[in-house]
Amino acid sequence: MAPPIVSIRDLSKLYRQGDINVTALNAVSLDIELGEFIVLMGPSGSGKSTLLHIIAGIDRPTHGSCRVQDTDVARLNESQLADWRNRNVGFVFQSFNLIPVLTAFENVELPLLLTGLKASRRRQQVTTALHLVGLIDRQHHLPRQLSGGQEQRVAIARALVTDPPLIVADEPTGNLDAKSATDVLEILRSLSQQAGKTVIMVTHDPKAAAYGTRQLHLEKGEIVA
Amino acid sequence: MPAVFTLLVQSFLGLTALGIVAVFLTAHFSAVPVKYNLKSVFIRWRSTVATVVGIALVVLVYVLLQSLAVGIEKSNASTGDPRNILIARKGATAESSSLVTRAQLRTLQYFEEIERNAAGDPVISADVLTLASLPRKGQGGEANVLLRGVTPRGMELRPQVHLVAGRWFSPGRREIVVSRKLAGRFANFDVGDTFKTGPTTLTVVGWLDGSGSAYDSECWMDADESRSVFEREMYSTFLVRPKSPEAATNLIRRIESDKRLQLRAESETGYYQKQTLTAAPIKWLAGFLALTMSIGAVFAAMNTMYAAVGARTREIGTLRVLGFHRRNVIATFLLEGILLAMLGGALGCLISLKWNGYTTATLSVESFSETVFSFTITPTLAAQGMFFAAALGFWGTLLPAVRAARLPVISALKAL
Amino acid sequence: MTLGGFILKNALRNKRRALLSVLSVGVSLFLFITLQVALRELTLPPEDLGSSLRIIVRNKVSLASPLPARQLQVIEKIPGIAAVTPFTFFGGLYKGDEKFTSFAQFAVDPARVKDVIVDAKMDPAEYAAWVADRTLCIVGLDTARRYNLKRGDRMQFTGTFYPCDLDLRIAGFYHGTADDRTVFFHHRYLDEASGNPGTVGCWWALASSAEEAALVTARINEAFANSSAEVRAETERAFQLGFISMWANIKVLIGSICTVVVFTLLLVTVSTMSMAIRERFRELAVLKALGFRRRELLGFILAESFGLSMLGAILGAGGAWLLYRNLDIQKLANGVFLAFEVTPRMLGMAFAIAALLGILSAIAPALSVARTSVVEGLRTLD
Repeated sequence: MAPPIVSIRDLSKLYRQGDINVTALNAVSLDIELGEFIVLMGPSGSGKSTLLHIIAGIDRPTHGSCRVQDTDVARLNESQLADWRNRNVGFVFQSFNLIPVLTAFENVELPLLLTGLKASRRRQQVTTALHLVGLIDRQHHLPRQLSGGQEQRVAIARALVTDPPLIVADEPTGNLDAKSATDVLEILRSLSQQAGKTVIMVTHDPKAAAYGTRQLHLEKGEIVA
Repeated sequence: MPAVFTLLVQSFLGLTALGIVAVFLTAHFSAVPVKYNLKSVFIRWRSTVATVVGIALVVLVYVLLQSLAVGIEKSNASTGDPRNILIARKGATAESSSLVTRAQLRTLQYFEEIERNAAGDPVISADVLTLASLPRKGQGGEANVLLRGVTPRGMELRPQVHLVAGRWFSPGRREIVVSRKLAGRFANFDVGDTFKTGPTTLTVVGWLDGSGSAYDSECWMDADESRSVFEREMYSTFLVRPKSPEAATNLIRRIESDKRLQLRAESETGYYQKQTLTAAPIKWLAGFLALTMSIGAVFAAMNTMYAAVGARTREIGTLRVLGFHRRNVIATFLLEGILLAMLGGALGCLISLKWNGYTTATLSVESFSETVFSFTITPTLAAQGMFFAAALGFWGTLLPAVRAARLPVISALKAL
Repeated sequence: MTLGGFILKNALRNKRRALLSVLSVGVSLFLFITLQVALRELTLPPEDLGSSLRIIVRNKVSLASPLPARQLQVIEKIPGIAAVTPFTFFGGLYKGDEKFTSFAQFAVDPARVKDVIVDAKMDPAEYAAWVADRTLCIVGLDTARRYNLKRGDRMQFTGTFYPCDLDLRIAGFYHGTADDRTVFFHHRYLDEASGNPGTVGCWWALASSAEEAALVTARINEAFANSSAEVRAETERAFQLGFISMWANIKVLIGSICTVVVFTLLLVTVSTMSMAIRERFRELAVLKALGFRRRELLGFILAESFGLSMLGAILGAGGAWLLYRNLDIQKLANGVFLAFEVTPRMLGMAFAIAALLGILSAIAPALSVARTSVVEGLRTLD
């Protein structure tokens, strides 16, 4: 059997809020296999988002290790982390975070600017990604000319465009209506099932959670189920 | 003390230049979403326009003032013939305050370093310079005009000066040829007009043009006529043409070392190039204004850029999540700031061009007379203006850009 | 919390921005005041008591042409003249100066000058010593301080207008005139050194009363009309203004720079302040939702922008006032500027500009706040 893509050992995260120490994660250990669609659930403050952020390399643990493929994310410095994110992680936000002044096409192209690819090759990859989310006909639209669901699909295309092994989504359906949410979830599922991507998603919504291949519940910084 | 100050200023400018080059290199060799910047700039067009116009005005003031100094310097620098030697009294700081005697003229005539003309006479012109206080046109009050009494030989030695209207003066008559550029500024300077200086009435018979040299600020009349009108026993200066450059060097050495003569000799062009007293305070003013105005402009630019960073916190976070480095973010904002400022600089330079070549006048500190010159905007000056703008952009954006780069990546996830 | 407290908290919420706004207004008003002071100094020379009585007589050709010494007898007899002295600008370079010496040296008649420069205060013993010895000079206290000169010190000057040099010793000092920088020495010394040309540079005279001054100038001009050396007699003030008018466009130049500075300032500050308010749009919408009326919101905005620009004015204009009051500007500007005084009128202008700034920068945001509905406002930054 192939080694797990994500391997978390004894991971803790403490931070201070005013005068009190808060334990966001408490000695969490977890293996995630290639192609899994993991859903992280739990009440607010349970540590699910923190876990997601650490796996995605935008937050750092206080203790423990988080290996993604063969890299211990916690040991990278700021600059290495930036490169690592660009190559390995596609991020989907709750509030889309598209750059308002760029068209859908340009938004998707943005991460490719870091790769040194030629313009023609970039164009090809952006087109592929937009095809995948079914928005090739809206490529010249600005974010404000798109619906919320369309914006989120552009954001998914942006997450895909560098072909990262890991797709990380933080409440991707939180700002969407039911129909759009289904579209987005379908895309995420097909990414894991057909494209072999590992998807990790945080959500509150049990209907969304049903799309995952494995559901993990967090409470008070620990995985409870 | 001034040396230390100059060194400080130079290292500061050097540092700024390095910083600007670094930004452009970073932008060129690593990923900076330039398009993103350009578009963001136009989204906030109101503050963008204000910043650009503000910088344009700062650069405009700087370039225009410097162009005045450049104009004065250029007029001096393009005066004279490098082959000529100007001889004046030791200690005199200007031609008009120099006094040389007929005895000195007689001595000089036998110096074999000096060229002879076809008739075998030495090529020496003994000029008489006087100041006449004359009324300006309109309500401008009075100003001193430099009157040069000149010999036929002196006119041959100054081929830069030519007649553009009327005719030359005739010796023995109270006639004068005025500079065309002065004619635009003084009353009764049209051909055929007369004006009084002291008890004497002079008739304007022609206009001269000095081809952009300091002669554009002079009026010419016959040397002997001038001595009689102004009751002058002595001449002011001698202008001579040596036989060769070697002869010129020898002549200067010979005159300077002759204790009895009490004269000073130097090349005519060299003499005019040393006339820097008039331009100096203008340069000083330009420097002072550039400094204070740019401090204000940098504060304002910083404010604008901090606001831009604040408004784009989530976008910056998103860029970082996508894998952009801190240095990319810094370069992104610096590039934005510098390009904006340079846009303002270009605008300022363009507006300043409107005045290019426009003739104005002030009191020359050296000759104590009205000196005409033109606003002169050279490519170097425009480049200085652009660099100045880029520097404003750089310093106005540096701190906000650093702040942008230091925003935590997680800020992308937090709604504002 | 009071309303005032609320406004203050609001203005200082973003301390950096408040500081930068205040500083940019301050720097610009400082510059404005500096230029105004310089302009006033260049165009309105300082006066003393004798200014209104003094008459300056120069050659009609120009200041550079000398006058015959024999004119003294004629001028002395003109009715209305209380005193007259030859007054010849030597314009030498003080030992060590290469191009330019910032204080003047005048050759005068020591016995007569005291009655013309009536404001000059001198020690009687020093004055008597000066009159008695023609190699001695009297030095203005400002120059004496600047070069740290003592009685008995030598002062050497290289002639630039005159083909001779001066080697003087200091008899004493004077003070109390509008410009205590000049060196006065014996005209006889100059005559001898330059080979007795029988000429003087100018005559300086004192009219017996201010009413007489205008008549006296006319009488002097008339006395030499159609002579070989016609003269131009004018009051000291007219003479100074004529001198200044030779600088041609300098007033226009500095005036237009002031305008550009103020305009730039207006533009940039208005934009920054508007931006500050716009950032706070949602908050203002919340206030609206809480029941604040437009009028009150307008008050908040106005109070904030007004307060910030006034603070800038206090800093910039007040700073300039303090600075120029305590600075030895004579030393710094190499004698180009004397007093560098900030007048109440300039301060008033600076504060008026600041007030205008405060109002103008409140207009745009106030209008858009008034136009925006609560719902829109709440949505702005969502």
